[in-house]
Amino acid sequence: MTESNDKKIQRRQFLARVGKAGVSIAAAGFITCKLYDKQGPKAGVDIGSLVTLPDFSVPDKPGQVISIVKGASRVKAVNKAIELLGGIKRFINEGEAVAIKPNVAFASPPMLGATANPELVAEVVRLCYKAGARQVIVTDNPINDPSSCFKLSGIGKAASNAGAEVILPRPNLFKHTMLTRGKLIKNWPIFYGPFARADKLIGIAPIKHHHRAGASMSMKNWYGLLGGRRNIFHQDINTIIAELAMMVKPTLVILDATQVMMTNGPTGGSVKDLRWANTMIASCDMLAADAYGCTLLDLKVSDLPYLIKAQNAGAGTTDYESLKPIFATVS
Amino acid sequence: MEPNRYRAGHLESAISFCLLALLFILAVGVVVKQADYDMSRFGIYIEKTGAGEFSVMRVSAFVPAGFETLSRTEIYIPGNLYEKINGKAPLYIESGFEKLYTQRFVSKGNDSLWMELFVYDMANVKNAFSVYSVQKRADVELLPNMLFAYQTANSLYFVHGRFYIEIVGSAETPELYKAMTDIARKFISDVAIDKAMQIEELTLFPRENLVTGSSKLYLRSTFGFEGLNNTFVARYILDGHIITAFFSKRSDGQDAQKVAKNYYNFLIENGGRAKPIANEDLRRLQIKVVDFYGTTEFVFAIGPFVAGAHEAESQYSAERMAVMLINSLSKAVNND
Repeated sequence: MTESNDKKIQRRQFLARVGKAGVSIAAAGFITCKLYDKQGPKAGVDIGSLVTLPDFSVPDKPGQVISIVKGASRVKAVNKAIELLGGIKRFINEGEAVAIKPNVAFASPPMLGATANPELVAEVVRLCYKAGARQVIVTDNPINDPSSCFKLSGIGKAASNAGAEVILPRPNLFKHTMLTRGKLIKNWPIFYGPFARADKLIGIAPIKHHHRAGASMSMKNWYGLLGGRRNIFHQDINTIIAELAMMVKPTLVILDATQVMMTNGPTGGSVKDLRWANTMIASCDMLAADAYGCTLLDLKVSDLPYLIKAQNAGAGTTDYESLKPIFATVS
Repeated sequence: MEPNRYRAGHLESAISFCLLALLFILAVGVVVKQADYDMSRFGIYIEKTGAGEFSVMRVSAFVPAGFETLSRTEIYIPGNLYEKINGKAPLYIESGFEKLYTQRFVSKGNDSLWMELFVYDMANVKNAFSVYSVQKRADVELLPNMLFAYQTANSLYFVHGRFYIEIVGSAETPELYKAMTDIARKFISDVAIDKAMQIEELTLFPRENLVTGSSKLYLRSTFGFEGLNNTFVARYILDGHIITAFFSKRSDGQDAQKVAKNYYNFLIENGGRAKPIANEDLRRLQIKVVDFYGTTEFVFAIGPFVAGAHEAESQYSAERMAVMLINSLSKAVNND
């Protein structure tokens, strides 16, 4: 071969290599363009995909806003408490779907009072069916593992035996919400699915000391609707509880003070933490319920800043006496 | 004749080797980094054993006779402790919490009888004692032969070295209680700890009239005052009155004086009124007395200690307490 042929071969090879390299670069560039996100990660959620919890409240009836019943039997006390407010049919219409949101936060046995009492939950389910509800859902987004919480608290079994559908949280049941006047609940995921198909909402909560908030009662119960890394809200616990009270408008709240967790809340752990108060509170104004409830913890309204914040935001009144609570006793 | 194959030049070969070497180094770096990743940052827990570490497996091994494990072992770190104990998490985290191991056990014969073991690794015995003491229930039965331990009808609580342990039962039954004590016994015998279980400072409290088992350690804000941290408190009954005595060892005498003065100012700013002291000896020592909404508060500094009495029902009893404290702390100062 002559030298010029060698050069031609080298040139041919060079061109072939350049060609191959060019194709590789073009392919890589094409894939890159396809994967390239010009806008970058979105700062929030599309406004169109935000949801708002329905307003589950029923029309006011002056003089029948809050009832306080003394008695050791939860079943008798809750029946009396609801009866005093006009009976279950005031709240539940025939054919309606009812969501009950008890406090199922912990995988804790019923006797420790860290979660709603299963017997009480079951009775409220039965009352809803008695009023003609077509479906009753019992649900919560617990702090601990949901399956363990519903099982070990006894609430899962009690609710199912009473005919309720127990719904555990799943990712696809969460949607983002924005509280218009809120500072914290902005584009935040909430446990929405079970409530979207409900006509009425009943909250059931025990009264507990809470290391961070001071007390955990009916308003704090709605913490179970928050998704995501909700523990960050503990840094501004009073504001988040007030915003929960703004966000959720339930039909009725039941505050169980048969046994009150006086210390070491919210988890407790010893029967020594509990005190028998033998009181059941039913209320259409959860702020008023909590304002009365805190007295059973030997606290005043002023000891719980979130009560005042919620009142200032228009979520109800701490002056439960102005609502003329109805008192009764059951044996 | 075959065409000549193209042979790369020296420069081209050198560049190629450099690129390959760079790629190799990158690959080695990735492998090294991935092999030693702190998975706990992503909520993934890896069992570690070794000096100072507590094996996950051993927690489930505490299963008592007649019981079996009900769930898998759970492990929590400061970043996610909230997911187990919610609003109580700050109490532990602010007290030096490192790790929590939990394990549930259920009776083989009765699945309604179950209990949960909580093992809090608090890094040292003082931290463990602090969370134990500030949560201790009133009027409980102290466990004999154990330094810091008590029981209630359904639960057991104790300190073992750096660990604070709770065993919480689902019911109040002898079977569950026996199982809890078996777990506690096994834990104490199997888990090696530093010999220093004693907390020296507790011996500084005068023994006379001390309510047994009433001592506590507040690592942060004591009596609502942020400047009073690492404070030991204990209850006394003097002349039929309950008094809480307290002391905190500061870095030196100057710091003790400063903290004493600041705490006194805190009491006055929050509605307290200065009161004269009846006891002449105490007056000479410049002890401050405050009437705080009907109760008496004492505060003073002695050597590196700031000390006093809190919510005393009677000033006379509070002065007696102050004298007892001064005598005890003076001995400690002289021995140092």
